[in-house]
Amino acid sequence: MGCASRTRGKPAADYSRSLRIAFFAAAFTAWTCIAAAQPSEQDLSKLSLEDLGNIVVTSVAKSPEALADAPAAVYVISHDEILRSGATSLPEILRLAPNLDVMQLSPSNYIVTSRGLSGNPGLQNFPNKLLVLIDGRSVYNPLFSGIYWDQQYVLPENIDRIEVISGPAGALWGANAVNGVINIITRNATDTQGGLFEIGFGNHESGAALQYGGRLGENAYYRVYAHDFHQRSFDDDTGQDAHDDWSAPQVGFRMDWQTGNADLVTVEGNALESREGISGAPDVHSHADNLLARWQHASNDGSNFQLQFYFDDGHSGATPTSGGGTLTTWDIEAQHDFPLGERQRITWGIGDRVYHYRLEPSIRSDASLLWDPESATQNLANAFVQDQIALGARAQVTAGLKAENDPYSGLSWMPSLRLSWKAAEDTLLWAAASRSLRTPTVFDEDVIEISNASGVPVDFLNGNPDYRKEKLTAYEAGLRTQWATRATISVSLYYNVYDDLKSVELSPTVLPLLWGNGMEGHTYGADIWASYALADWWRLGAGLSEEREHFRTKPGASGLVGASFAGDDPPHRSFLRSSMNLGDDWTLDADLREIGALPDPRVPAYMELNARLGWRVNEKLQISLSGFNLLHPWHQEFVFPGSDRIGRTVFLDTRLGF
Amino acid sequence: MMTSPHHNGTDAQRMRGRFARIAICLLASALACGDAFAQPAQPDVPLEYAVKATYLYKLAPFINWPPDAFASPDAPFPICIVGDDPFDDFLVRAVSGRSIGTHPFVVRRLEALTGDSDCRIAYIGRLRSQSLQQALMAVQGRPVLTVTDSDTAADNGSIMQFVIEGGHVRFDIDNSAAARNHLSISSKLLNLAAVVKDNG
Repeated sequence: MGCASRTRGKPAADYSRSLRIAFFAAAFTAWTCIAAAQPSEQDLSKLSLEDLGNIVVTSVAKSPEALADAPAAVYVISHDEILRSGATSLPEILRLAPNLDVMQLSPSNYIVTSRGLSGNPGLQNFPNKLLVLIDGRSVYNPLFSGIYWDQQYVLPENIDRIEVISGPAGALWGANAVNGVINIITRNATDTQGGLFEIGFGNHESGAALQYGGRLGENAYYRVYAHDFHQRSFDDDTGQDAHDDWSAPQVGFRMDWQTGNADLVTVEGNALESREGISGAPDVHSHADNLLARWQHASNDGSNFQLQFYFDDGHSGATPTSGGGTLTTWDIEAQHDFPLGERQRITWGIGDRVYHYRLEPSIRSDASLLWDPESATQNLANAFVQDQIALGARAQVTAGLKAENDPYSGLSWMPSLRLSWKAAEDTLLWAAASRSLRTPTVFDEDVIEISNASGVPVDFLNGNPDYRKEKLTAYEAGLRTQWATRATISVSLYYNVYDDLKSVELSPTVLPLLWGNGMEGHTYGADIWASYALADWWRLGAGLSEEREHFRTKPGASGLVGASFAGDDPPHRSFLRSSMNLGDDWTLDADLREIGALPDPRVPAYMELNARLGWRVNEKLQISLSGFNLLHPWHQEFVFPGSDRIGRTVFLDTRLGF
Repeated sequence: MMTSPHHNGTDAQRMRGRFARIAICLLASALACGDAFAQPAQPDVPLEYAVKATYLYKLAPFINWPPDAFASPDAPFPICIVGDDPFDDFLVRAVSGRSIGTHPFVVRRLEALTGDSDCRIAYIGRLRSQSLQQALMAVQGRPVLTVTDSDTAADNGSIMQFVIEGGHVRFDIDNSAAARNHLSISSKLLNLAAVVKDNG
């Protein structure tokens, strides 16, 4: 626990904000009116083949892509969008989602949040209110809460889409989906047939991937892959080598076996070995291995059944400030949905997760980190039910409830109520009220931190057996429309009320300090994004997000940590994107983003540009040149000034199909 | 130790006020032209078939036609609708004035497909006077891209078949059927296909 004194930064100067808002509102008005024209042959003729495939032509309530029609703030990052961004790592790909904050600290270390609450990692409050799933496998760490982004990697080629849901999704996805869910879905093996060799070089990153997809018998398809990359270290804040390079070789496979039209069996596995440099210390070695099997069955009566099992085994290496640890997880889930009468669809499911962990103590001369117990097996059980009720042809109510039983706080209930109304064929208005929870973890309850700063070991901070769930009640509303097949617009507004947020409290003897639930507060904001096809070869996108956060110490709490303990989040972000097809063989993409200053501790605002030029040399060979953060030699995103300089990078990539 | 924050109430209220105005402004601007989209003018054909019709002529540049597929440099590029026509006049309007290279698109409506039907692309709808297999056999070995709809049986032997996936119109490609008709399909189109069948 650091004892640094933190002063509240002056609120960000906002001389340009009013101008920007006025511009955006005017553009929005013009846009909506132009776009309201009737879809015609001309409209469709301007679209590329890719765009044609993206038009939603039928109701998709039953399919996984129903999310695009869901009464929630959803952004779906498509496969095409991912490849055209040139981004190689998951956090960089997630920058494409207008409803996420992505803040980089070092080559491997990112903070990704939705709707704020980035926490205060320097004071051990981790960003812990976002759930991330890769093909239905949770990568949220139940020991510390939050995501180890350095242990997640998916070859961009193999990502089918990423569904980013901002706002509470606890009723479907369970605890810790407080402020959102990121659902990374990889491509079916039938979509990745044939061979692929990819090699890329740049001033910051080099990497290579080899993949082959083939067929097993009549109805089964597979792919196997291996890839490796190396990201060089950035410079630290003084311009010296920060010695924090990162590499993470990975191998894996996926197999899809479709029997008839009714059953699909998927088996996939991945093994990743990560190595990260640390200045003045040995490299940190970690590994993450997993195996997943899923059976999906569709019946003629309109019902769907899914059974999924996965095993996940991870080891995080020790760093100078924390011991390493292992986490082994077994998870089984079943889900069933079926129509009930003419107007209702019921979805329900049950699941159970057993995980075993062992944490190594970290004993140093100045401070030590211990665990009591160091090892345990815990169980997390859940059940949920959701009812979608059609109210006439245009309106729908979705009521959901999830019950989860976690090892620390016992039974939790997470209800949600959503309303949607199709104001017109392509226009959806929605509103929702829901409750979500962040449940206690090993780190909240079982940690013992010893300080040796005074020369005498002092029990400085302990986990608190009475740590409570952090609670959110959220109110949301939104509008989503597709006009004339050429323009899409999404507006979502939210008002979030938080209670029992994490704080540091005094024990009856003052020391040790205890983790507590002494903060509350509210946030509100808006995420707006739009896209417009100027021509069949040129699409523009734009977005604007605004957020305000107000946190305070609860009556009777210590007030030892201030509001900045909950998070340091940009009050606004905006982006402008252009995506061009120059003839059949060339593509040019550019993405300009502007991130407002973080208020406390203050981090300056920045604007940066990513761009990519792609060339399809022939049917087998593609070459692309990407540039990231092109506008400045370097900038900083989360900790200022004492963090890595995020530098300007370029990357030349060659893909050969065989 | 960390200092506790001091909240400036007036700042917060001012921000809240400004924020509410932005939200209202945006919603109002959306509603301002609400009349324009409250009664959306329906296209003549369902959107699904408008999209399928658009695919039919937009995919032509991604097929390599054998040089002898065209009688002359200015010979038309016929897209045939065999059997029932689900596109109404949408396809005819869409391709009017358009060409591929020097070959202007024309739309032909046929009852049945025969060996001497002059078609480069043949969309085979619901057939009245022949079976699907008869239609496909009639043009086998000729440079005709056969396309079937999403409601016909899978693996029916056509080169291309529309499929509906998650509410989107996509297509499957049978590369060996294409080879039998001496057509080669560009990798761009193959990459966009939901499924590429290649039975050697």
